[in-house]
Amino acid sequence: MLIELALRNLRRVKVRSALAVAGIVIGVMAISSIGIFGESLKATILENFKDVANELIITPDYTHGYTYIDERTLQKLERITYADVIPIKSKSALISYKDKKTYLTVYGIDLKDTKELFSLEVGSYRGCLIGGSVAEYFKLRIGSKIVIEGKEFRVNGIIRKEARFDVNPNFAVILPTKDFDKLFNGRKEYTMVVVKVSKLEDVEKVKNYVEEAINRKESKVSVFEMRSIIDRINQAFAQVTLFLMAIAGVSLLVAGVSILNIMLMSTIERTKEIGIMRAIGAYRETILKLFLMEALILGLIGSVIGGLLSFLGGYVIDMLILKTAKYVFQPSSLFYVALGISFGIATAVISAFYPAWKASNLEPIQALRYE
Amino acid sequence: MIELIDVYKVYKVGLHEVVALRGINLRIENGEFVAIMGPSGSGKSTLLYLIGCLDKPTKGKVVIDGCDTSKLGDRELTELRRDKIGFIFQQYYLIPTLTALENVELPMVFKGIPKAERIKRAEKLLEIVGLGDKKDRKPKELSGGEQQRVAIARALANRPTILLCDEPTGNLDTKSGKVVMDIIKKLNVEEGVTVVLVTHDPSLKVYADRVVSIRDGVIYADRASLEKSEEG
Repeated sequence: MLIELALRNLRRVKVRSALAVAGIVIGVMAISSIGIFGESLKATILENFKDVANELIITPDYTHGYTYIDERTLQKLERITYADVIPIKSKSALISYKDKKTYLTVYGIDLKDTKELFSLEVGSYRGCLIGGSVAEYFKLRIGSKIVIEGKEFRVNGIIRKEARFDVNPNFAVILPTKDFDKLFNGRKEYTMVVVKVSKLEDVEKVKNYVEEAINRKESKVSVFEMRSIIDRINQAFAQVTLFLMAIAGVSLLVAGVSILNIMLMSTIERTKEIGIMRAIGAYRETILKLFLMEALILGLIGSVIGGLLSFLGGYVIDMLILKTAKYVFQPSSLFYVALGISFGIATAVISAFYPAWKASNLEPIQALRYE
Repeated sequence: MIELIDVYKVYKVGLHEVVALRGINLRIENGEFVAIMGPSGSGKSTLLYLIGCLDKPTKGKVVIDGCDTSKLGDRELTELRRDKIGFIFQQYYLIPTLTALENVELPMVFKGIPKAERIKRAEKLLEIVGLGDKKDRKPKELSGGEQQRVAIARALANRPTILLCDEPTGNLDTKSGKVVMDIIKKLNVEEGVTVVLVTHDPSLKVYADRVVSIRDGVIYADRASLEKSEEG
């Protein structure tokens, strides 16, 4: 019956209740939409990392005087990790084409590993490959002849431009290991080893394993988890999202103030009714409950509508800024919608506390005599 | 039994103190029908609200069924009002959003009586006051007399032993007023409900067993109603 009474009290001042609900709707929508957008933004960035998340990058420990990884260490790595181990050699070399020249990194990578790491814009994987930016700089095509350290190579493939954090191919030339060794009188010394762990959750384990097996006596290599970059991105975006949501939260605060306001008006308008109810046997708590219930109903209606609309809000923001809406309906969006709804309900109820307390503390006789 | 012992009530209006009641001593037995009469501003309504535990005396004691109300907290006073006292006001004071039936149910809601029982009793009470067919109407769809009868039904919801009436016919025409007073009288005679009626309308004296006259916060006459009419 109290719920019924609360509902009717709200219906009595339809426009006012509707406006209060609208305030909550906007507040919840702002918070949840921005939460959804934040998650989408993060997902977009992380998509670039999903190929490298399972990688360990192993480099010589320069601080202990190691400048390369030797063959024995490599074999040990292969033996202990049961993972895809990609040894990479690199050197800086002077590249020239026609009258242009520049220093670039030249990588020596086996054919099968090259296929694993990079995708081509054009051409085939055999022989000399160049990065997209190199092709642009020298205006190279398939079949162009470039000179590396005085030796001529025919460009066989151009690697698609992408932001990779392990081996960046854009400003590099990639040679098969055999050609690399011939060019630089190479020995079996590697500048870097990429270990691709098959299961993402095993990365930490493999890392510890490698460090224990190879760095037991002295620190020969440093092991870097690509996943730690992802963790950092996650952290950074969580902060950005929180900050944006806090700004959006201001709109909910305003909605809270408007609920406080209309509830105070109700308290004053219904002073006499409060007096009547107190006279015929309502406890202070009953009056308190009635007012809180009215706010709760406003909060519930507003929050649920706002929560549902925030998918629409997220969709619009994503389309405007990210030009794609594919991340709107991911599970984490539900979290932000639930968060927005909880905040909406909490705001409504907390805002109503003062008016409800005020109403419940009216002296029955004064309330009855109020004109 | 209702007992007022040396009751004073002083209001502060701005810087002034207004003494509404000065040393009232009054004893009302169970089952009595007492009319408290006096001009407006005499303090008669204040007296009624003190008996009804809606207000507290500045000095003195209000004792209801042997219980000193000045010793009770807000919760106990609320329960006393809810369970022992029924109020009837001049302006009916129904809750405008609730139907006649729901208004009668309300005191039982506050007492925590189950819904089915509540509705049964509320319907019965509305039958008694002759509004069985109008139970689903809102107050504004009822005439003044009908609203006052709903208010009577509401006052009786939790089977009170005391009925406090503040000018119950003040807003009604003669005919509706008579219907209302007849119901109140019948409750007094048949159910043994103690009735305290505050009015300045001398024509209501005939319903009372006893008339207490009050002026400037002091009782100046207290006699059986019949004696008075014989005198008059």
